[in-house]
Amino acid sequence: MTQENSDVMNTARLWMIRVNEPGFENWDVFTSWLEADRRHLEAYEAALAEDEWLAHLARGNTVSAWSRPKANADGAASRLRSLFARWPRQAFGGLIAASLAIVMVAVVVMNQGPGMTEIVTPPGQHRTIAMEDGSRIVVNGDSSLSYNPDEPRFVSLDRGEALFEVRHDETNPFVVQAGATRLVDAGTVFNVVSDAGALEVAVAEGAVIYNPEREKIRLNPGDALTRPGPDAPVEVRRIDVTGIGGWHEGILQFQDAPLSAIVRDLARAVGKPIRLADGAARIRYTGTLAVGGSAEEVRVQIAPLLGVTIIEEADGWVMKPANAASR
Amino acid sequence: METRSLPAMSGDQQSGGLQSYALSERPKLLRFLAARGAGDEAEDLLHELWQRIAASPVQPVADPMAYLFRAAENLIRDMRRSRLSREKRQYDWHDTSVVPEEQPLGERVLIAREKLRAVEAELDRLGPRVSTVFRAYRIEGVSQAIIAREMGISLSSVEKDLQKAYRAIAELKAKLDSE
Repeated sequence: MTQENSDVMNTARLWMIRVNEPGFENWDVFTSWLEADRRHLEAYEAALAEDEWLAHLARGNTVSAWSRPKANADGAASRLRSLFARWPRQAFGGLIAASLAIVMVAVVVMNQGPGMTEIVTPPGQHRTIAMEDGSRIVVNGDSSLSYNPDEPRFVSLDRGEALFEVRHDETNPFVVQAGATRLVDAGTVFNVVSDAGALEVAVAEGAVIYNPEREKIRLNPGDALTRPGPDAPVEVRRIDVTGIGGWHEGILQFQDAPLSAIVRDLARAVGKPIRLADGAARIRYTGTLAVGGSAEEVRVQIAPLLGVTIIEEADGWVMKPANAASR
Repeated sequence: METRSLPAMSGDQQSGGLQSYALSERPKLLRFLAARGAGDEAEDLLHELWQRIAASPVQPVADPMAYLFRAAENLIRDMRRSRLSREKRQYDWHDTSVVPEEQPLGERVLIAREKLRAVEAELDRLGPRVSTVFRAYRIEGVSQAIIAREMGISLSSVEKDLQKAYRAIAELKAKLDSE
């Protein structure tokens, strides 16, 4: 590259760095620079492409911080302190997380009508979708989600659970349709479970608006909305943000949850139907379950935690209270 | 120049305010879109911008001009991104030996991992300040103003560090792509 081209590229990168900063105001100066020479536009686009390349690299990696869209620029005070506490030594661990789910087998990708692609996951299989706007969706097992690649800001969660990491753009919000419900956000990390009209939405970063044209409920980080059925009343409670979407890393967190709710998430994680018997449904649990291992490992580990015995049958598991009289 | 008919203004005052701003600043916005490479499609893009603004949930906007230009910049980037992806998809579709969705994910991941490792090594080579600044900016999404404040350096230093990092990454990319 000639020195002159190199200088233009440097200037273009500086423009990109400035334009990306929230609160940038020198749009007319930027416009004049672009108009001054046609090579300026080319250089600017090249700089953007360099940045895209980084994000693109990381999309092949299901658990990587690089591909995550920028959250709100300020961040919590304590998080900032820890970010820079270890400066000048390297402040962050490796870019590439240790856990990496590699081969997805038997994920069905169907074309459904003009432009729609449907992802259907079998029980126990996750699938990550990289949307063309930079957003990322991790779909849990036994779930079904549809989208049109040409319309990256809209998806339909037909059934099951997905974790959304949405690229920030308040001028073009991301919409998740779950049945008749619209969830609208503008740069957020949130988890949705949609199951025959029952809905759960938990927000980890940013904000999501539940049905902006009707109830218009704003959900902030730490808010979890539950609606047990399509016409059931909506309830919003506070939960621990760090637990949201934990299923993605094999961790389920519960706060005084009945076993009936727990087995729904558990069944999705281990990929087997689970039946409750002998009053097990009344048991409640607070705590964390590690469900990333094999089904057998999980069965052995969690039974004592939940206070149940888990029997393996041909068509799934049966859970009974541990102190139930044996038949 | 034909003026396209505009969708009805929403009843909401804030959204109406933004839309009337978009009307009065139309020439500036068109000029920006043209400078950003929209060419003949500048009018169409402005219309698209109008619709996006009308459709987005209402939030208080401190600086309507900056908001509109930001929206225009995002729109241009989205258009470019989706055009490139569409072209790539059409290209892939014609290459019937490879169906993109089912290409061995393991292979792609390993290659990407190697490249990311090279990027990390390059950042480390540039020194702890550049490395910290770039990671705070690119991974954690911290704004440059806050990085400058927290690290006790000037905003200009932050910008220079980011420039250095991006330049090094560009050179690395050129090297990796030619291998």
